[in-house]
Amino acid sequence: MLIVRGVLALAMVLCGMVVMARMLAMLPAGLAVLPGVVLAAAMIALGAHRLFLIARAWRST
Amino acid sequence: MSSKAKSRGPDLRRSVTPWGSFSWGYSDVGADIFVGLGLVLAWAAGASNVAFLFAGVVYVCIGLAYTELASTYPVAGGGQYFVMRGLGDIFGFIAGWAVLLDFTIDVTLFAWSSVDYTSQLMPALVNSIHPWLHFIVVLGLVLALCLLNVIGVRESTAFNGFVSALDVLSETLILCLGFLFAFRPALLVHAMQFNWPSPYQLMLGTSLAIVSFVGLESISQAAQETQRPASVIPRTSVSLILTILIFALAYSNLALGLHPWHPIADAAGHPMQFWQIFPHDSDNQGKAVALLAAQVPYYGALAALYVPVLGAVLLLISSNSGVFGSSRIAYAMSNSNLLPSIFQRVNRKFRTPAISIVFFSTIAVVELVFAAAPALYPSVASLYARFFHGENGLGFLADLYAFGAATSYSFVFLGLIALRLRDPLSPRKFKIPLNVPMRWRGERVEFPVIAVIGFIGIFSILIFTLRTHPLGRIFGPSWLLLGIALYFVYRRHRRLPLFGSQQRDWRAAQVEILRSSGELELMDEYVANVKASDARRATRPV
Repeated sequence: MLIVRGVLALAMVLCGMVVMARMLAMLPAGLAVLPGVVLAAAMIALGAHRLFLIARAWRST
Repeated sequence: MSSKAKSRGPDLRRSVTPWGSFSWGYSDVGADIFVGLGLVLAWAAGASNVAFLFAGVVYVCIGLAYTELASTYPVAGGGQYFVMRGLGDIFGFIAGWAVLLDFTIDVTLFAWSSVDYTSQLMPALVNSIHPWLHFIVVLGLVLALCLLNVIGVRESTAFNGFVSALDVLSETLILCLGFLFAFRPALLVHAMQFNWPSPYQLMLGTSLAIVSFVGLESISQAAQETQRPASVIPRTSVSLILTILIFALAYSNLALGLHPWHPIADAAGHPMQFWQIFPHDSDNQGKAVALLAAQVPYYGALAALYVPVLGAVLLLISSNSGVFGSSRIAYAMSNSNLLPSIFQRVNRKFRTPAISIVFFSTIAVVELVFAAAPALYPSVASLYARFFHGENGLGFLADLYAFGAATSYSFVFLGLIALRLRDPLSPRKFKIPLNVPMRWRGERVEFPVIAVIGFIGIFSILIFTLRTHPLGRIFGPSWLLLGIALYFVYRRHRRLPLFGSQQRDWRAAQVEILRSSGELELMDEYVANVKASDARRATRPV
C-alpha cells in the first residue's frame, strides 16, 4: 500500500513540475497563467508532503 | 433516571481508523467535483479556474476551522453543536437547520447526478430525452436509500475505503495523463482572455463552485467514531482538504486547456473547445468528469467505460450519507432541545431513527419534484423561464445546496471565533494558523485571523448566491423562516428560552467528551486548566 501511495505522490510531483514548466513558458500572457501556476505549486507541495510522510512511515516499519 | 436518559441508545463505537476517517470524508466531499465541474464550466466559462480558486481558498479556511473544532469537540453534532456552544441555542438551531437543508438536497442532488453519470452508458436515462424515466429512477433511488437506512443497512467503512481508493487512483490518472498528453496552456490562456464571463456570471459560477467543497460535516461525524480524534482528525483532514482542493483546481484548469482526443464540433460543424459543451446542455453538466475522462488520450477509451460507473457509485454513497447524516444531525439537535424529541425516537424493530429518516427523505422527494417539474411539464418550464431565469433541475438543487452551505459555514466561523474567546481552557491539539494573542475577560486567548478571512469569503459567496440564484433566493430563506417558526413553537411549548439559551454545564460536558474519545491526557490538561483558572479568579481583587 505504501508503494502505491508513493507512486501516486511521485506522479503528482512530476505532473506539477510539467504543468509549472509549461505555464511558465506562457508567462508573457500575464495574469492568465496565475491559476495554472498556483495549481502546479500546490501539486508539487502536496506530492512532496506525501512523499515525506510515506518516507517517515517507511522508516518506522 | 430521566425519561430522556432512558431513551438514549447505545453510544457510537469508536472504531474508525485514520484511512477510514479519510475515506469517510472523501466519499462525501470527493463526489462534489463530479457535480460541480459541469455547472461551473457552464456559467463561469473562461474564469472557471478562478471561480474554483476563490471557492477553494474559502474551503481551505472552512476545512481548517472544522478540523480545529472537530478535534477539540469530537461530537457528531458538527456545525450545529459548535455554533450552539459558541453563540447560543437559536444560532445553533439556524446553523443546524441550514445543514439539514443541505443534507436533504444532498440526497436528491447526488441521486440525480448519479443517474446522469449512468446515462453516459445508458442513453435511455438522459433527462432531456426521457424526463419521466429519469425522474422515476431518481425517485426510486431516493426511496431505496430511505428504506435501506430504515432497516439499518449502511455501506461499510471498508466499501467506502475501496471506492475512495479507486477514485483517488482514477482521478490522479485522469489528471496526470490529461496534463501530460492533452493539456495545451495556450488554449487555457485563450479561454481566459477571450471567454471571460460577465461579473454576474462570475458571481454565479463562484457560488456554484462552493458546491464542489460541501460535506465537511463528515469530518465532525468521523470524529465521533474515531479513537483519539484529537491526534487522528487533523492528520486525515488536512490531507483530505488538500486532495479535494487540488482535484478541483486541476479539473478546472485541465477542462479549459484540454485539447480533446476526439474533435468536438457544434451543430454547424465549427470546432469547439471542451468546456464549450456545457453552457447550453444541462445533460452534459451532470456528468462532466466522465466526459472529460473520455477525452484523455489512450486512457480515455478505458475511462469512458468505468468512470461513469465509478462516479455513479461515489455519488450514490454521497447521497446515502445525506440520508443518515440528516437523521444523525436531527438526533443531535433533538438531544440539545433544538428539535422535538420525536427525532430521537428509535424504531423498536430495526433500532434506527426511522421517523427522522422518513421525514427528511420526504423533504428530499419534495425537492426532487420541484427540480424535475420543468422537464416534466412544459407549463411549469415556462413559469420557471418567466420568474426564475429558466433554471433547470440540477441548477435548482445546486442553488439550495450553495445557500445551505454558505449559511451554515458562515455561522461556523462565528462559532469558532466565539469559542476561542469563551472557551480558551479547552486544549486544542490543532489550531488554525495566524492567531493574535490577546486578553479576554481575564483569560489569555488567541484571536483567529483566518476565521475572519474565511467568514468574509463565505459570506460573500452567500451574497453571490442570493444575488444570482432566483430560486435559491426564495426557497433558501423560506426554509430558514419555516424552521425558526417551528423552533419558536417548540421552545414555547417546552417553556424554554426563545432567544436565550438553556443552562448547560459545558465543563462537565467537555470532560465527558474527552473521556469518551480516549483523549485522557487532554482531559487531565483541561481539568488542570479549569482549576488554575478558578484559582486565578478566586485570588483576583474584586
